[in-house]
Amino acid sequence: MNQPNQPSPPTWPLKLLRFFVKKEYAEEIEGDMEEIFYDNLEKYTVRKVRRIYAWETVKLLRPVLIKKLMVFQYFNQFNLVGNYFKTSSRSLMKNPMSSFINVFGLSMAVGICVLWYGFATWVNDTDQFHENKNEVYLVTFFINREGKEQQFGTAPAPLGEMLQQDYPQIKKICRINDSPVVIKYNENVFHERLRFVEPEFLQLFTFPLKWGSPSSLNDLNSIVLSEEMSIKYFGEDNPLGKTIKVIFSESNSKEFAVSGVAKKFPESRSVDFDFLIHFDNQKIATPIYDGTDWRSYVNATLIQVENPNDISLIQQGMSKYKNLQNEKHSEQAISNFGFVSLKELYRKSMDIRDGICPPNYEGNTKAVIILGVLTLFLMALACFNYINIAIVTAAKRLKEIGVRKVIGATRSKVITQFLSENIFVTFFALLFGLAIGMFIFIPGFEQINGFSMEFTLAHQNLWLFLVAVLFITGMISGLYPALYISRFEVVNILKGSSKFGTQNPMNKILLGFQLILACILVTCAVMFTQNTDYVAKRNWGYNQNDALYAEVHSRQAYEQLYAAMAQNPNVTAIAGSANHIGKNYGTTVVKLPPNKEYEVERLGVDANYFATMGITLVKGRSFNLHPEADKHSVIVNEEFLKNLRSHAIAQGQIEWEEPIGQQIKIDSMRYEVIGVVKNFHSYSFDSKILPLIFTVANKADYHFLTLRVRSGSEPEAYAALQTHWNKLFPEIPFQGSYQEDIWGNFFVRIQNHGRFWQAIAFITILIAGLGLYGLVTLNITGRTKEFSIRKVLGAQTSHIATGILRQYFILFAGSFLIGVPVSYSLVKFLFDIAYDYHVPMNYLSITLAVSMLIFVLLFVVLTQVNKVAKASPVNGLKVE
Amino acid sequence: MKKTKLGEFEELVLLTVAALQQDAYGVEIKRELEERLKETLSVGSIQSALKRMEEKGFLTSAFGEATLKRGGKRKRIYYTTSLAHKVLREMKDIRAGLWSAMPKLSHQLKVTFN
Repeated sequence: MNQPNQPSPPTWPLKLLRFFVKKEYAEEIEGDMEEIFYDNLEKYTVRKVRRIYAWETVKLLRPVLIKKLMVFQYFNQFNLVGNYFKTSSRSLMKNPMSSFINVFGLSMAVGICVLWYGFATWVNDTDQFHENKNEVYLVTFFINREGKEQQFGTAPAPLGEMLQQDYPQIKKICRINDSPVVIKYNENVFHERLRFVEPEFLQLFTFPLKWGSPSSLNDLNSIVLSEEMSIKYFGEDNPLGKTIKVIFSESNSKEFAVSGVAKKFPESRSVDFDFLIHFDNQKIATPIYDGTDWRSYVNATLIQVENPNDISLIQQGMSKYKNLQNEKHSEQAISNFGFVSLKELYRKSMDIRDGICPPNYEGNTKAVIILGVLTLFLMALACFNYINIAIVTAAKRLKEIGVRKVIGATRSKVITQFLSENIFVTFFALLFGLAIGMFIFIPGFEQINGFSMEFTLAHQNLWLFLVAVLFITGMISGLYPALYISRFEVVNILKGSSKFGTQNPMNKILLGFQLILACILVTCAVMFTQNTDYVAKRNWGYNQNDALYAEVHSRQAYEQLYAAMAQNPNVTAIAGSANHIGKNYGTTVVKLPPNKEYEVERLGVDANYFATMGITLVKGRSFNLHPEADKHSVIVNEEFLKNLRSHAIAQGQIEWEEPIGQQIKIDSMRYEVIGVVKNFHSYSFDSKILPLIFTVANKADYHFLTLRVRSGSEPEAYAALQTHWNKLFPEIPFQGSYQEDIWGNFFVRIQNHGRFWQAIAFITILIAGLGLYGLVTLNITGRTKEFSIRKVLGAQTSHIATGILRQYFILFAGSFLIGVPVSYSLVKFLFDIAYDYHVPMNYLSITLAVSMLIFVLLFVVLTQVNKVAKASPVNGLKVE
Repeated sequence: MKKTKLGEFEELVLLTVAALQQDAYGVEIKRELEERLKETLSVGSIQSALKRMEEKGFLTSAFGEATLKRGGKRKRIYYTTSLAHKVLREMKDIRAGLWSAMPKLSHQLKVTFN
């Protein structure tokens, strides 16, 4: 029957059969199956016969017929596993101290793990809740500057509409424009951030609504609020149908009916809104607004396509719009358009300038990495504790192991036993750790950093993550002790001639490692604490004290407020400006002959601004008091000069030796450099000092009024400023503050970083200290007899103490010898990536950290030495 | 009949083996039983019944000849043991006894139902 054209039974069931069925039955059953197969061939089609064959094979897998496989053997010894469990819990109960140290340390580490997981998912899940994240794209464009392509998140106003007409693949478009406005409800007025959007906004960004419907945005007179804003204006009531007045400017305002309130936004989001109104209201806000002008930009244009693959097609056709744009707006030639999907928008936010998505992904990713490294460090500390204690306590368990081996346990069985014991301990730690993470670490972290990560136990991969943590930590901490303990020969164990625990070099290596880790983390904590102090004292580059500012909405408002404040006896100087340090900057492109371009920050100010803000002029002169005199003059900062010079030197030229009198071009206008000011921090110490220029501001553009007041009179002047304002402009809320408060919560944040690291250092010292305590205690109790005999023979307490201390001294000294330089470079690295301006790396912090650690170490060791010293030798000799 | 633990299906298989004599191997037993019971049986059920009964001592077995149809694999021929005959007879007697006791029972049953 083996003719080549004869169908044969399928092979996989045969393999299955051969693998599972008992060897002695295999031939018979295989034969039977084959016979039936060929019999059936005469009755049915080949396919059916094969199917029957396969199904019959599966049905053959019955307990009577199949081999006893490894798995089943294992289960047959279920009693043994049960026994492991029993001995494990017994040994845990018998050594409450070491069990506590292990479980405590591991729980702490697991707690941090949970925190890390929560934070990492919070960062990674940002914006991922939008249903159309794969189909929605932000239109961006590129501009080539100084050889680098820069991506911008804004778009020419007419582009969106044209795209939709040209491409049927584009389902929806949405233009977004943001505008600061004043919102009035009853007698309450507030400055708010308003978004002009196309009605599709709520379909692209699928924020669910609490009240109202998304389609209501189609109505020109509707306004949609965020939950936060709804509560701010209307409390917990349903505000649908209520009218609020939006004041766009002094002359333009409009009443809107509330038609929707969004549900509370998910915490992991990068794009949201306070108020939404129909895009066409833009015409009412700014009557001269022209949506067909290629020179006017909208804050964002988003498109939704049918299929993500369509985007490459659209991308190919974008050169048409590029040419159109460059024709109409030739001063700012773009090199290309691009698209960024909503799914990736947050991740790419760092590269997109002026985007609707705040560029904090990089910062958060750094934080995730740092926290991840910390987690690993703490995990290592806890695992090392476990290993150390397991090695030292091995002596106590040797008899048990010996007996087990004699009854026939193989080495692998002993290893399994110890590993399962360890997984058991880790499991406990995991439960505690989860609780610690959820109820202490995460809320603490959220409080310190002022956000909520909405951590839930229901997160999709959390349990998978925890199981992974369980097994990985279980393996790392348990593998070495298991291998070490199972290695002993039965005969030696039972004879009592095996030496263990005290002489294992692994103990010392791990302890040394722990000390190095502790040294790094404690140094970090000290440095971060120092940094809090440092930033509080660091010079801002100008005089931020005794300075006030107020935002004004028009030139008239400026003049009125100026007139009112000029009479105040406390005011020593007043300045008007279009931009203001720490608040608002223009950016502009400076052209230098022959054809170099630099992007710089630009502040439009008046002549008094430098004196008012205490900016120091290092060279040249300030602006002339007569506003027309210096219309074509600029004052630059040192950074500007430095960049320019280094660039020139790199090209082998010597330029700008004397900056005063040099010519630059802005927007095809010539300007002459008349002065250089000392560098100052435009923003907080978070951002680098950038090249910057001052120009004389047009009076019509004044947006800020700045005051310098007599020292100590700040509160009075501030009160006067507010009173005058409220008298002059009762319809518009006052916006202004002390200059020293302009960085918002920067100092609080730096202080909180310090607090976070102090907490980490505390946990580190706790885990390492406890581990050392356990180790020393076990070591000393193991030598009780020896100490007692020595004492009886007349040894001094000091002799015994130095004996114990010497044992650790070399270890401590060695660890710190390695730990100090490692800490130095690692902490320096960390600070350099975390902050642009921070306290310089110093040895004081390391010295402090090391002394702290030495203190803890000595304390731990000496308490134990003290115990030995006080103990009566008689009790020691009575042991066993 | 003490604890012979012969299930209904096992008993049928055992009887078939006894009836088939020299032809009693897996496929033949299956064919015969399927014919008589008028239902299809799986190889697994027959085989596991055979192996169980072999363990209990109702059957012994020996390899028979190999055929081309079986891909050169030998048959295993099953033989009933004397224990099996004894148990089968016992079963039959018990059944016969019960059958002979039935008229009375059925009469009484009828009364209850009317």
